[in-house]
Amino acid sequence: MTAQIVAPKERKVAQKRIALTGNHAVALAVKMARAEVIAAYPITPQTPVVEKLAEYVNNGELDAEFIPVESEHSAMSAVIGASAMGARTFTETSSQGLGHMYENLPIAVGMRLPIVMGMAVRTYSAPINVWGDYSDVMSMRELGWIIYIAQNAQEAFDTVIQAYRVAEDSRVHLPAVVAYDGFWTSHVLQPLDVPEDEEEVMRYAPITRSWVKLDVDNPAQLGAVGTPEWYWEIRWQAVEALRASLKVIQEADEEYGKVFGRSYGLLTPYRLEDAELAIVAYGSIFGLVKKVVDRLRREGVRAGALRLRVIRPWPGDMFKKLLEHVDKVAVIDRAINHGGPLYGPMAVEIAATIQKPVYNVLATIGMRAIDSDMIYDAVVKIHRGLWVPNTPYTVGLRGYE
Amino acid sequence: MRVETVWLGRGGQGIVTATYIVANASIIDGFHAIANPEFGAERRGAPVKAFLTISKEPIEDQEPVKTPDVVVVFDDKLIDSMRFAIDAVKPGGYVIINTGKSPEEAKKLVGRDDVYLVVLDAIDIARRHVKLDVPNGPLAGAFSKVMGFPTLESIKQAFETQLGKAVEQNFAATKEAYEKAVVIPPARVDASAKPKGIISTTSAFLTGPYEIVGWREVNKAGAVFPGTSLFYTTGGWRIDKPVIDHSKCIMCRKCWLYCPDDAIIEAWREAEGPRGRKFRMKAIDFDYQYCKGCGVCAEVCPTGAIQMVREL
Ligand code: SF4
Ligand code: SF4
Repeated sequence: MTAQIVAPKERKVAQKRIALTGNHAVALAVKMARAEVIAAYPITPQTPVVEKLAEYVNNGELDAEFIPVESEHSAMSAVIGASAMGARTFTETSSQGLGHMYENLPIAVGMRLPIVMGMAVRTYSAPINVWGDYSDVMSMRELGWIIYIAQNAQEAFDTVIQAYRVAEDSRVHLPAVVAYDGFWTSHVLQPLDVPEDEEEVMRYAPITRSWVKLDVDNPAQLGAVGTPEWYWEIRWQAVEALRASLKVIQEADEEYGKVFGRSYGLLTPYRLEDAELAIVAYGSIFGLVKKVVDRLRREGVRAGALRLRVIRPWPGDMFKKLLEHVDKVAVIDRAINHGGPLYGPMAVEIAATIQKPVYNVLATIGMRAIDSDMIYDAVVKIHRGLWVPNTPYTVGLRGYE
Repeated sequence: MRVETVWLGRGGQGIVTATYIVANASIIDGFHAIANPEFGAERRGAPVKAFLTISKEPIEDQEPVKTPDVVVVFDDKLIDSMRFAIDAVKPGGYVIINTGKSPEEAKKLVGRDDVYLVVLDAIDIARRHVKLDVPNGPLAGAFSKVMGFPTLESIKQAFETQLGKAVEQNFAATKEAYEKAVVIPPARVDASAKPKGIISTTSAFLTGPYEIVGWREVNKAGAVFPGTSLFYTTGGWRIDKPVIDHSKCIMCRKCWLYCPDDAIIEAWREAEGPRGRKFRMKAIDFDYQYCKGCGVCAEVCPTGAIQMVREL
């Protein structure tokens, strides 16, 4: 790979700047993290990630077992099996593929397996829409997985590496998913900095093999019957582990910042300190949101923004602290909570957290494109009091108002 | 500095790869770039657009490109159906176009005198070097020539990363294009003028007589009712068109049998007998509305009556 060398002084680790799509950035991170078993159903919607990984394995650049299974259901089964044997595993899916995998998702949690999964988020059918929105990953919220949402290719790369470290930490032992925008990140080519020496990644996230696993010298049965006498207690361990992972996620992120020069936090605030109005968003559109904030600031509106990076575990206290002083909180949701109290899943959770009504805006559903002007118009309506809280509003839906 | 570009072409012409290559090369040159293809039906021949923004500063806002500085057109037959994109180019901007037509004809086709027009026969170059009808390498060369970036060296490196094959051939095509592209400066530039239109962020590719309606009016459950494919005149995809020499045709109808698009028809033709008597006879003809120019007919014709002639 050709690249120029970018190695600013404050970074411990030398890095080079390359150009990759979000999908290929994830594949590279998985390769650098030396995943040992990769299972995938190589068809839309996740082809480029696993195609690249298949290439790495084929070229001998990655010493892994690549299992091309016949469906996502099997992909998750295969990585559960491999992870239960103590292997570092990876799979990727989205949309209907996640739906098909769904049955096995809670099993990975109950068995406390540190599987890392990538997800170029897409919407659900019907009508058939293979394009991007957050319907798939939002439907995973109840299961006990750690859920990251990355903003761009660089962050997707960094987060996959962090996810391995967090998932395999003995205080955690939970599966983690790294979500990033379908197409707007997954298929967009962007510059990113990656460590020149791949071993740095392994030094940062060594394979711990500390989780409960199958071992011939120490026979055990995993995923066995948990009668009503035991199930709840065992499950509660996972609940507690997810809660406790908040701290580990933060530590891992800070440590990553020290080694690689980039950290993101659990939430990314922007000009929020003295804000009277905040726009909360996630994924690739945060760049547009920041632009809107700058524009509003120039016009004298004390606007700020907040990006959700980790939604499971939910960084509730941090939300409260960051949004405490803000009068109006607008949440841009990119998935529909059909028939919910508010129509966006994150709006519901944020309203419950800050115990204040929020302005709920739906956008980019089925990958309907938006620009910063559209976000600006919506926020101005909220600022002027033309829109009211606790009512779903939309940006880009035809014939609604 | 922030240059916003739109690349228009057809599925199979390498539009997405073109933006990846130019973005990658620009990043090698130290710019920030973001190549943002628009994925649609992913059907060969279907109109495709891809966006590419290059900037000195990091790009965090993924704004859709609405009024580009540069439009690159892979197929001159798309100019009419995608006039909205040509109209949206900022005055003083660039229209880079792949065509076998003369620069003067191309100028008439584009119909704007307030932008730089860059004319290039990228198909000819690609056919000679790469042996394929993919004009992306040459168009990257033309882009580099008029914009001054990315450098040819970086484009070559980008070929290695993005294609990983046929690097030398593609690069030779790029270099030739760099040298050969004809640049016609604008007759007038009113830098304060606004572009005539904008590229809409939705539904730019609807073809046929659709009505853009609100959520109440859209068919329930997205049901699709019987319609007609008459509006999908796939003949626009052609690079070469079949032309027949009736004097050689023996009416064996092999071409008719093999045409994958039912585009070979029998039509009555006026002919003249040896003593001047006029009469009507059956003859082979082509339905150019639907002929995709695959060349199968010319290939199978036992008498060589059909020739493929450059059209794009
Ligand atoms: S070129 Fe192909 S599509 Fe056109 S008439 Fe010949 S066989 Fe048919
Ligand atoms: S194959 Fe050739 S000779 Fe036969 S009908 Fe067609 S054009 Fe005529």
